[in-house]
Amino acid sequence: MTIEGLHRIDATRLEVPKGYKAGMRTNGIIYIDEVLEKELEKEAIEQVANVSTLPGIVGSSLAMPDIHTGYGFTIGGVAAFDLKEGIISPGGVGYDINCGVRLLRTNLAREEVAPKIKELIEGFYRDIPTGVGSKGKLRLNSEEHRKVLLQGARWVVEQGFGEKEDLIHAESGGCIDGADPGLISDKAYERGRSQLGTLGSGNHFTEIQYVDEIYDEKIANALGLFKTQITVMIHTGSRGFGHQVCTDFLEVMQRSAAKYKIELPDRELACAPFDSPEARDYLASMRAAANFAWANRQFIMYWVKESFMNVFGTGPKMIGMSLIYDVAHNIAKVEEHIVNGQKRKLVIHRKGATRAFPPGHPELPDAYKHIGQPVIIPGDMGRASYVLIGTERGMAEAFGSTCHGAGRLMSRHQAIRRAKGRSIRREMEDMGIVVRSAGRETLAEEMPEAYKNVSNVVDVVHNAGLSKKVARLRPLGVIKG
Amino acid sequence: MKKYEPIDISGDAGLRIWGDGLPELFANAAEGMFNLITDVLNVTGPEEREVAVRAESIEDLLIKWLNELVFLFDTFGLVGKSFDIRIENTSLKAKISGGIFNPQANESRLLIKAATYHNLSVRKINSKWEAVVIFDI
Repeated sequence: MTIEGLHRIDATRLEVPKGYKAGMRTNGIIYIDEVLEKELEKEAIEQVANVSTLPGIVGSSLAMPDIHTGYGFTIGGVAAFDLKEGIISPGGVGYDINCGVRLLRTNLAREEVAPKIKELIEGFYRDIPTGVGSKGKLRLNSEEHRKVLLQGARWVVEQGFGEKEDLIHAESGGCIDGADPGLISDKAYERGRSQLGTLGSGNHFTEIQYVDEIYDEKIANALGLFKTQITVMIHTGSRGFGHQVCTDFLEVMQRSAAKYKIELPDRELACAPFDSPEARDYLASMRAAANFAWANRQFIMYWVKESFMNVFGTGPKMIGMSLIYDVAHNIAKVEEHIVNGQKRKLVIHRKGATRAFPPGHPELPDAYKHIGQPVIIPGDMGRASYVLIGTERGMAEAFGSTCHGAGRLMSRHQAIRRAKGRSIRREMEDMGIVVRSAGRETLAEEMPEAYKNVSNVVDVVHNAGLSKKVARLRPLGVIKG
Repeated sequence: MKKYEPIDISGDAGLRIWGDGLPELFANAAEGMFNLITDVLNVTGPEEREVAVRAESIEDLLIKWLNELVFLFDTFGLVGKSFDIRIENTSLKAKISGGIFNPQANESRLLIKAATYHNLSVRKINSKWEAVVIFDI
């Protein structure tokens, strides 16, 4: 049965009609099937409606099937705004600016790596600073910090931590133009100084996986994926640096919303007209934080390669280790989209959502131009993760966007209660998954059943045509914060 | 009287906080937050810091105060154990006494990214203050 006040359009789309809440300028569309609808929170629906009240919204206020309540915008939210009439909102990006994932391929098969998983995971844990209060091995001086903010992963590769190809295989080339280090607060600089090259905590991880199912042979081939192949997935963001940029600008935007007389149904939706000094400053600072995140994932990837090198006694090239792709989950970007037959430049907010561009899009690297943009969807540590590919329909319907993960099901306390008296680590080992975690409670909070089944989430975006399934990956070993 | 209690919220962490006066409310909020990050009792000192924050309302002052502490923890590992707080209108001055977090020796609980404005409230009920703060983790 459909939730009261909502209208089911078809098997994968639920409409939040324009009259659902006062002040809505457009409708909301939640990509969700009847199974996941049972877990849809009332507050998340309210938030989809709230976003539709913001000035200059173009199309619908969208949410992906991994939707859950966030701050201001839902997690899984996508919203496009006009560059003249519209706004930009830090709440539509989130605290962890450019939190994202990257996926590495190898030419190793599962049976070659299985006996060495423990050793590899120990290597990761030793080489990648992980968890609350952990400091990175790097200390940036001011000039280096500035370069990270301007050049992102490009700077890291220039320092010798990676290959030029890594940059081609990352969203925005691992560096977005238009960052301005001069706008960053001293606090953000100080907070970020020793956090580059750290994983963080919570749901961030580095995981060894194997390909257990291929759905589309042709595209899998083009991505260099084959059955039983070992892959490595890295999930992290801009760390304390990005959190501080968001905190700083939420304060600025509280004032600007009042200054420009933008009525807000929720303070976390604080925003400024896109064409205003406050918005320009936020965009340039957010881009600096996004570049910090790309640099962060680039460093961590380098240490992953080193761990493989140590364990296998050979160079990463010999075992075919290379980056398939890197995607941002929390970002606002100026992009060109066709709306009602007209080409328009819009600012797209994706918060817990992934860009998914179709074949032929000019922003794709040559190697992927004929297949579309790879989309990497991490699941929980026990079940599966997915590789998908962008589609024309996703471009036309959802501003080239799709889901970003499983989405939480349980609160922290529910998960901790559920895990009481159990050893999640042992349970994972029984499933053949080696786990290393910095925090005692992290494993309980992050246990598989605390999340929605990512397969259900991915099926919705696949069936809705927003992106297409290519391969499923199963975990073998993981480090958590 | 209870100083604070956790609020169950999907994916994140919140606190309901009580205090006889505003300084006590703000000190209890800080204590509650640091206990979400680690077991405060196991952090050894001494370490002292003075901070001053100013905001446009009491709600905003609470968020700015907690975000100042998030910054101090994330940057220097500062864990506050006691807080000498003075509040005048919507300005706060505080002396924080505590220690420095050691990831090898101290328990890692939650990595707090920020105190948010989400469902934020600070109210006086009879003669007591009560606040609700949700943290992004």
